[in-house]
Amino acid sequence: MRPLDLYEKDASKKVTIYFEGKALEAYEGEKLPVALLANGIYWITTSLQGRKRGAFTFGPLPVIVNGVKNIDGRKTLVKDGMRIERQNYGEFQEAVEIDGSKGVLREVVDVAIIGGGIAGIGATLELQEYLTVALIEERGWLGGLMSLKSTIQEGFDEEPKKVIEELTSQFNENVKVFKGTIALGVFDEGEYFLVPVVKKDQLIEIMAKRVVLATGAVENILLFENNEFPGVFRLDFALEVLNKWGVAPGKRVAVVGRKPERIIPELEKWNIEYIVVPNPKRVEGEEKVERLIDTNGNVYEVDAVIVSDYRLPDINPITQAGGKLKFKWGYYVPVLDEQNRIREGIYVAGSAAGIKPHYANFLEGRLVGAYILREFGYEATPAVYKEKLEEYEPEPMPMQRIEFKDMNLEDVQICGCDVNLKKVDDVVKKGITDLQIVKRLTHLAMGFCQGRFCLFNGALLVSQRTGIDMGKIDLPVARPPLKNVRMKVTAVRE
Amino acid sequence: MPHKELPDKSEIVIIGGGIVGVTLAHELAKRGEEVVVLEKRFIGSGSTFRCGTGIRQQFNDEANVQVMKRSVELWKKYSEEYGFSFEQTGYLFLLYDDEEVEEFKKNIAIQNRFGVPTRLITPEEAKEIVPLLDISEVVAASWNPTDGKADPFHSTTAFALHAEEMGAKLYEYTEVKEIIIENGEIKGVKTNRGVVNTGIIVNATNAWAKLINAMAKVPIHIPIEPYKHQAIITQPIKGGTVKPMVISFKYGHAYLTQTNHGGIVGGVGYEVGPTYDLNPSYQFMKEVSYYLTKIIPALRELLILRTWAGYYAKTPDSNPAIGRINEIDEYYIAAGFSGHGFMMAPAVAEMLSDLITKGKSKLPIEWYDPYRFERGELRNKALQMG
Repeated sequence: MRPLDLYEKDASKKVTIYFEGKALEAYEGEKLPVALLANGIYWITTSLQGRKRGAFTFGPLPVIVNGVKNIDGRKTLVKDGMRIERQNYGEFQEAVEIDGSKGVLREVVDVAIIGGGIAGIGATLELQEYLTVALIEERGWLGGLMSLKSTIQEGFDEEPKKVIEELTSQFNENVKVFKGTIALGVFDEGEYFLVPVVKKDQLIEIMAKRVVLATGAVENILLFENNEFPGVFRLDFALEVLNKWGVAPGKRVAVVGRKPERIIPELEKWNIEYIVVPNPKRVEGEEKVERLIDTNGNVYEVDAVIVSDYRLPDINPITQAGGKLKFKWGYYVPVLDEQNRIREGIYVAGSAAGIKPHYANFLEGRLVGAYILREFGYEATPAVYKEKLEEYEPEPMPMQRIEFKDMNLEDVQICGCDVNLKKVDDVVKKGITDLQIVKRLTHLAMGFCQGRFCLFNGALLVSQRTGIDMGKIDLPVARPPLKNVRMKVTAVRE
Repeated sequence: MPHKELPDKSEIVIIGGGIVGVTLAHELAKRGEEVVVLEKRFIGSGSTFRCGTGIRQQFNDEANVQVMKRSVELWKKYSEEYGFSFEQTGYLFLLYDDEEVEEFKKNIAIQNRFGVPTRLITPEEAKEIVPLLDISEVVAASWNPTDGKADPFHSTTAFALHAEEMGAKLYEYTEVKEIIIENGEIKGVKTNRGVVNTGIIVNATNAWAKLINAMAKVPIHIPIEPYKHQAIITQPIKGGTVKPMVISFKYGHAYLTQTNHGGIVGGVGYEVGPTYDLNPSYQFMKEVSYYLTKIIPALRELLILRTWAGYYAKTPDSNPAIGRINEIDEYYIAAGFSGHGFMMAPAVAEMLSDLITKGKSKLPIEWYDPYRFERGELRNKALQMG
């Protein structure tokens, strides 16, 4: 067993990989950062400004694989003999092979559902009886955040993995599932919506009469010093390494953030030693987290930090598709009509519409499915789902205060692209409160994640420094592509 | 800039706080004129905000070459004085056949005549300048090392700051609703925040110029229409990878360069309009990826981070309308820059200030005569990128 393995892996799949020249044990089919983590390696890449970075919080993960630079480490599965080296963000592959374009594939369906979490699954099940569906999921599996949990969730009576297996086994021939597939955006072509998606560098144009954005939520990024250092885990990544891969985030971990209960049962289940630190100030270490210091000056020797805080709807797919936002429950949510639409033809379901239990998201998926069936003239009973859903008011997020005084703001990363809190604060202190200008002057929200993880904190900072109500701050609209795509993929011409 | 009270009056009112309005206010203030800029959003928020950074002197007619020669002198001077970045990293036009080469030889001759040191270089020389270029189909290139690029937002902000220091007054979130004219004379403008009395108005609103012209009841037809042009940016890569602006007419009228932040920014000739819509399209993403990767194959493996759109305020000959409208005392226009207004701004400011304060300019302002459309005297189409 490797140092952080939680159990013995399938020996028949054992392979050897080399990281910075050193031979390591890995297992065929494992994700690269997980294989490295199991071997105790956290630092994988280096930002433009020389900050060490790992795989499990925000920011991209370019690595050199078998001599080829700028490969996305998070999407790389290990293979026997694979050689991996660290690189700096700015390095790229100068000599490229021109393998010609793969061309475009096309799919015509009634409904395109973006997001294969529990809401997307619910919508699919509702629609499949009468309509054809394309279910698009970025991860390599369905079930979203719920599939990463191991404890029974409210409203379901089995383990999440089982629930998802059972639900997806009911999919019929009307359903095309696209796993490991990113959607570039939703484009209104008049007669239909065009949803271009990318699966393994193949461009697929999905033409659909209706679109469901079941695009989920993102983890709130906590602002403390070195909050992107190797060894800091976003909650969804911590759950993934534990429950999908059977690897511990560390031997002794600190849980920070306002919702420790989201991770504690999982840590206890795996017998991982943890401490809860509600007020983190700084993490430190050589190549990875070695200690956490809280605002009272207490020092905790740990080798990983899990941020277990609130979640926020991912607003990018909403605004790109033409939706408007409002500030409600302490975060930004799409403005929806009485049928959960941001505009005619485009529906929103699940945590993209508001943070609530998985079961409520499932109901909401079924609800929008029912609305669409109605629109197409089929029998459906949205009222039943609507009534049940009304029992679940979305969870409010309390307003957080950024502790400017006590922190070295240069060490606090607001965004994965070397934008620190000081840079943004300096601009806001000059009296600039329009996030469009802040964005231009600091590069906030202009990087790999398109503001997915940093716009909220940018708005929070403006609000806190100026007293402007969060609801009055105008958030920049997301532009395509919704997820980063290599230029060769879209370089097609017919 | 804080929401200060609007003044009752000003000698000159400039409508529009983009690079053109701001550099004009800066030049007029420098000459001691009393000037106010009214901007409906924030300074630099329109096309300036969405602009592609390029500054070039490689045009195909005498007027534009002279104006841009002067403009580059001003870019150099002010970037040094005010500390914003203007890098003379050159413009490189890739040429693919004899016909293109002949045409560019003519352009280069005009440019050389006015002291712009453009020369025709070999494909190998082009590759020395940008090592990642695919030169397999390139037969020559037109290269001027004194062209360059600047950050549109930072430079506009710097001009605005110094204009204010010299007494210009800039008002943001102040939208002009009405122009008050009595007996053919300008009396003032009505805004959402009150009235400013003035005798002189400059319409520097580019894409919105026709709306302001309509408010002033300009009696001549000045055809300026907004077109949607789009741009793309990739992940940042190490600095100095693509120093100049690289142009390829063969491949989709494409342009590309590297920004200060490291990303490769570019666009193509894909045009939609007339329209005020600014949603980036999927079709553009495909076109721009196709063409840019033809020019530099290494871009194939770079991640696209974002696309966006802005306006080209186009005229039928791709030249702006700059000048005085004689029927209205005193109404001036500087609009319709057709995709190359950012680079022209400092020289336009000088030229128009000369016209306003002295009645004439040393630079060939008559080339941009707003009356030429009515007279049917369109110019040679100015070289337009993207």
